Amino acid sequence: MPAYYLEILILLLGFTMLGIEAFSSNRSRSGIAVLGISGLFVVLLFLIIAVPSSEVPYDYWGIYHVDKWALFYKAIAILTTLLVLVLAKDFSSAFKKYTSQSNEFSGIGEYYCLPIFVCAGLMWMASAKDLITIFVSLELVTIGFYVLVSFMRRNVGSLEAGVKYLVLGALSTGFLVYGIAWIFGVTGHFDLSGIAEALNSGEIEKKPIIFAFALLMVGLGFKVAAVPFHIWVPDVYQGTSMPITAFLSVGSKAAGFIVLLRVIEPFLNSPLTSSSVILILSFLVCVTLFFGNLVAIKQTNIKRLLAYSSIAHAGFLMMALPAMESGFHSKLIGPSPMESISFYLAGYLLMTMLCFLVITIVSSLTDGENIDDLRGLGARSPLLAFAMLVGVASLAGIPLTVGFFGKFLLFNIAIQYAVFSGSWYIVAFAVLGASAGFYYYFKIIRAMYCGGAEQDGDQLALTISTLSRVVIIVLLAGVILCGVFPKLILGFL
Amino acid sequence: MSLLFYIFSGLMLGFGIMVIVCRNPLSSALCLVISFLGLAALFVTLNAYFISIIQILVYTGAVMVLFLFIIMLLDIREEKSKDWNFLAVGGGVVVLFGFVVQLISVLGGYEDGKQKMVPFPEDSSHEDVKMIGAEIFTNYNFHLQVLGVLLLVATIGVVVLSRRQGKEGSENN
Repeated sequence: MPAYYLEILILLLGFTMLGIEAFSSNRSRSGIAVLGISGLFVVLLFLIIAVPSSEVPYDYWGIYHVDKWALFYKAIAILTTLLVLVLAKDFSSAFKKYTSQSNEFSGIGEYYCLPIFVCAGLMWMASAKDLITIFVSLELVTIGFYVLVSFMRRNVGSLEAGVKYLVLGALSTGFLVYGIAWIFGVTGHFDLSGIAEALNSGEIEKKPIIFAFALLMVGLGFKVAAVPFHIWVPDVYQGTSMPITAFLSVGSKAAGFIVLLRVIEPFLNSPLTSSSVILILSFLVCVTLFFGNLVAIKQTNIKRLLAYSSIAHAGFLMMALPAMESGFHSKLIGPSPMESISFYLAGYLLMTMLCFLVITIVSSLTDGENIDDLRGLGARSPLLAFAMLVGVASLAGIPLTVGFFGKFLLFNIAIQYAVFSGSWYIVAFAVLGASAGFYYYFKIIRAMYCGGAEQDGDQLALTISTLSRVVIIVLLAGVILCGVFPKLILGFL
Repeated sequence: MSLLFYIFSGLMLGFGIMVIVCRNPLSSALCLVISFLGLAALFVTLNAYFISIIQILVYTGAVMVLFLFIIMLLDIREEKSKDWNFLAVGGGVVVLFGFVVQLISVLGGYEDGKQKMVPFPEDSSHEDVKMIGAEIFTNYNFHLQVLGVLLLVATIGVVVLSRRQGKEGSENN
C-alpha cells in the first residue's frame, strides 16, 4: 500500500465520524470516540504491519516524500491522536460543564472529530519536502488547534487561552510566511533540495539568507515552544481542556521538530550559513533550557508545571541540533542526532501521555488542577499513583525509564559535540536544567505519597474505565520496557 | 511609477497605523479598508491585475464588510482609553526598532535586491487568471486539496463555537 494513502484513510475516518455525528440520535456520542480510536488503531496497524511503499504519484513529486523518518513521525502523530481521543472520552463528563448544560448542544461530537483532521495535518508535515507544503499543513494543524483550544466556551480560561493562541499564532505565522518569501527571493526555490543546491552554489549572499533563516526560526520556534517564543505556552496549556493540552504538548511538538530538522539541514550543511546557524541554535538551546527548567520550579498548577516542562524538553531536544553539522557527522559515536531526537520524542509521547491520562482522571473527579490535588493519591488509587510516579520519573530522567535513555542519547551527542567544537556551555546549561528538573518533578511525587489527604471528603473513589485502565497499563509497560530495552524504539529508526 | 509606489505605500502604512491607533472599532475597520485599497493599487503597479482585483473583491469587499456588519450588530462601543503599560509598549518599540534596523542593514547591502524587475510581457498569451489557474490546479494541486481540508476544519470550528446553546444556555446569546 502506498504511504500517501494513510492520510487519505485518516481523512475518510474523519468524514465518516462527522457524518455519524450529524445524523446519530444517541446524545452521548461516545460511540464516535470509540469509532475514532479503533479507526486510528487500524491505520496505525496498516502503517506498521503493511510496510507502506514509498512510491508517490506524479503530482506529489518534489513536495511530498516518504522515508523512514516520515513514517516514524506519522506513527507518532497517529498514536498521539489515538491517546488524545482516549483522554477526551474520559474528560467528557467534565467537558459538558463548560460547554452547555444540555447534552444536545455540547459539541462533544466535533470535539472527537477535529483531532482526526489535525492528525492528517501532522502526517503531511512529516512528509513535507517543500516550504509551501510545510506551510499549508502547518496551518491546517494550527487552525484545528485554534478551535480546539477555545472549545470550552463557558470557561473564561479556555476563551482567554483561545484568544492568546490565535493572536500569537497569527503573529508567528506572519514571521514564517515572511521568512519563506525571503528564502524564495534569495534562492529562487521552495523545495528543500533546491534550497540546499542554491546554498552551496556560492552565488548567494550571506546576510539575506541568514535573515530569512532567523524569520523561519521565529515561526518554527513558536511551534516547538522554544524560548523566547514560548510566552503562549503556560497560559494556553493552563486554560484549555486537558486532552488538548496533551495534544499540543506532544503532537504539535513532534511535528514541529521533524519540520525543524528538515528545514535546518540544508542550512547546517552549507559552509556559507553553518556557523551563523549554529550560533542561533546554541543561543536558543541555552535560553530554552534555562528558562524552561528554572521557571518550572515555582509552579503550583500542574498544567503550568507541565507547560514549563514541555519548554524544557524542547530545550533538551534542540541540544542535538547543532551536532547535525556535516563536519561533525563522521566523528560521532552512537546514534545520530536525528535518531536520538526521534527516540526522545517517542519516549516523550509515552511518558507525557501517561501523566496526562492520570491527571485527566483525577481532575475530572476532583475538579482541581493543583499539585495539592494529587495529595494522597498513593492511598486512594495505587495504580494511578504508580503510573504517575513512573511517568514523572521518566520526565525527570531516572534510570530504567525511557526518559533516562532519551536524555542519555542527547547528552552523549552534546558532550561529543562539545569536545569537537568547544561549546561546553550548552552541556553546562543542560546539566543545570536536568538537575532542576529532579526538584520540580519530585514535588509531584512527594504530594502523591507523602502528604495524606486532608479531609475525608477527598477520599472519593476514583473510577477508571476499562479502556483507560488498559491504556495506562500499556503506556506504563512502554515507558519501562523501552527504558530497559531501548532497541524497541531504536529498531524502527 | 516610482512616485505612485510611494503614494500608495504611504497610504497603506499610514492607514495601517491608524487601524491600531483608532479607539473606535468602526473607524479602525474603515482604515483597514483604505489600507487594503492601497495594497491593491500596489499590485496594479506590479502588473498583477488579477491579484489586485481579488484583493478588492475578497478582502475589501467581502471580509471587511462582514467585519463592519459584525461590529454594528454586536454594537461594540468605543474602547475606553486604558492606562499605558510602559513595559509592553517599550518592549514592542524595541523589537520593532531592532527589526527595522536589521531589515535596513540587510537590504542596504543586498546587490541582488537592487535589480530592476523584468518587464512583464503584455501580449495576450500571458493572461493572469489562466496562468494562476494552471499553476494551482497542476503544480499546486496537492496544496489546494490540503487547503480544502483546512476550510472544512475552519467551518466546523465556526459552527461549533457560535452555535446556539439550547434553551438553558440561551441567555448567553
